[in-house]
Amino acid sequence: MNIQEYISSGIVESYVLGLASNEERIEFEQLSASHAELRAAREAFEINLEQQALGNAMPAPAAVKEKIWSELDLKTAAPPIGKNAPVAVTMQPLTPVRTLSIAKLMAAASIILLLGSTLLNVYYYNQYKTSLAQLQDLIASNQETAKNTTIMQTKIDLYEKSLDLVKDSNMAIIALKGQPVAPQSLTTVYWNKQTKDVYLLVNNLPVPVTGKQYQLWAIVDGVPVDAGTLNMNEANGLVKMKNIPKAQAFAITLELAGGSKTPTMPIYVVGKA
Amino acid sequence: MSLKARDQQSFSYLYDNYAGALYSIVLQVVPDKEVANDVLQEVFVNIWRKIESYDPSKGRLFTWMLNVARNLAIDMVRSKGYQNSQKNQSLPEGEYLDKGGASTQLSVDNIGLKKVVGKLKTEHRVLIDLAYFKGYTHEEIAAIENLPLGTVKTRIRSALIQLRDYLK
Repeated sequence: MNIQEYISSGIVESYVLGLASNEERIEFEQLSASHAELRAAREAFEINLEQQALGNAMPAPAAVKEKIWSELDLKTAAPPIGKNAPVAVTMQPLTPVRTLSIAKLMAAASIILLLGSTLLNVYYYNQYKTSLAQLQDLIASNQETAKNTTIMQTKIDLYEKSLDLVKDSNMAIIALKGQPVAPQSLTTVYWNKQTKDVYLLVNNLPVPVTGKQYQLWAIVDGVPVDAGTLNMNEANGLVKMKNIPKAQAFAITLELAGGSKTPTMPIYVVGKA
Repeated sequence: MSLKARDQQSFSYLYDNYAGALYSIVLQVVPDKEVANDVLQEVFVNIWRKIESYDPSKGRLFTWMLNVARNLAIDMVRSKGYQNSQKNQSLPEGEYLDKGGASTQLSVDNIGLKKVVGKLKTEHRVLIDLAYFKGYTHEEIAAIENLPLGTVKTRIRSALIQLRDYLK
């Protein structure tokens, strides 16, 4: 078959306008599948027909469209209004969500408040523990300070008292120097010529062995007279000894705790009045 | 094809762009506007419901819609209800058909395709009118016009070739 003759036979127009017989239609469709020029001829006539129809369109009454939409809505509720159906489906879950949201919001808010409150409790408890520990430290520190202050005050009192004694113009100062048993030793005797009170300052003396203590002697006319024993724990300033009305020299020996009636040799320190 | 997905928006677009052209072809078959309105409504309801049967490999969408419109309009004219209603009117549509050659009177001859058909020689125009606007088969036309079937076929083909040239 000559396809160009076929195309120009009028079959294309007959087919497009729906005037072809069943046999002609089947033949045309079979030939169209294998002949691009036949399809092109058909397309060309279709476009011309469409252009002519559009150019001669008659305005359709508006009521017709309304009737069509109304009819399709009524008879094909779900499928044709493809857009409405999914919208209705998506809208439905939104409503319960909205009503739930207040309760959920309140629940969420209370949980947040509870959580916040708990965190604050933990925070404040930790703060309290820290503060309590700090307070206890401060109290202890304060007590320590107070104790130290008492000690310091005692020392200050002692030093002031010693200083007053030293400053007294009636006070004679007698240095007792170290002897061969303890050459580095040094003590000082403050002897008030008016009151005859004797004070001893330990500059340097070896720590006595347990059960023994130093004893001061006043040498009066060649005879040692007990001037008192020395408690080394209290020897931080001037230690008041016994009143000695008269003496030519002072000496210290190491005696059994409590002191002796006569000195035990050797002499640790000695000095002339 | 979005219309096949029954997309209402596409359908609305289709209506807005093609309803007028289809209304024109319906009016060329069914001159009564009230009836033509009903047919146009039926045309779009059919397009919506039968869009799956449209095969793009066999032609353009407009061609398919045009044939839907033409077929429904012819069905309406041929229905008993329409025939009865037209008989009560002063100018029965089918009257000239019985007179054979007296088919020059076309009720809507100045719109759409009929305007183009009007350019044809009378012997061609009558056959196209019977075949296209009245929907008669070639055999029926041969009987109506008292012509050999071969002559009817030849004349119609010849008329269609001229129509094609007129439409270019």
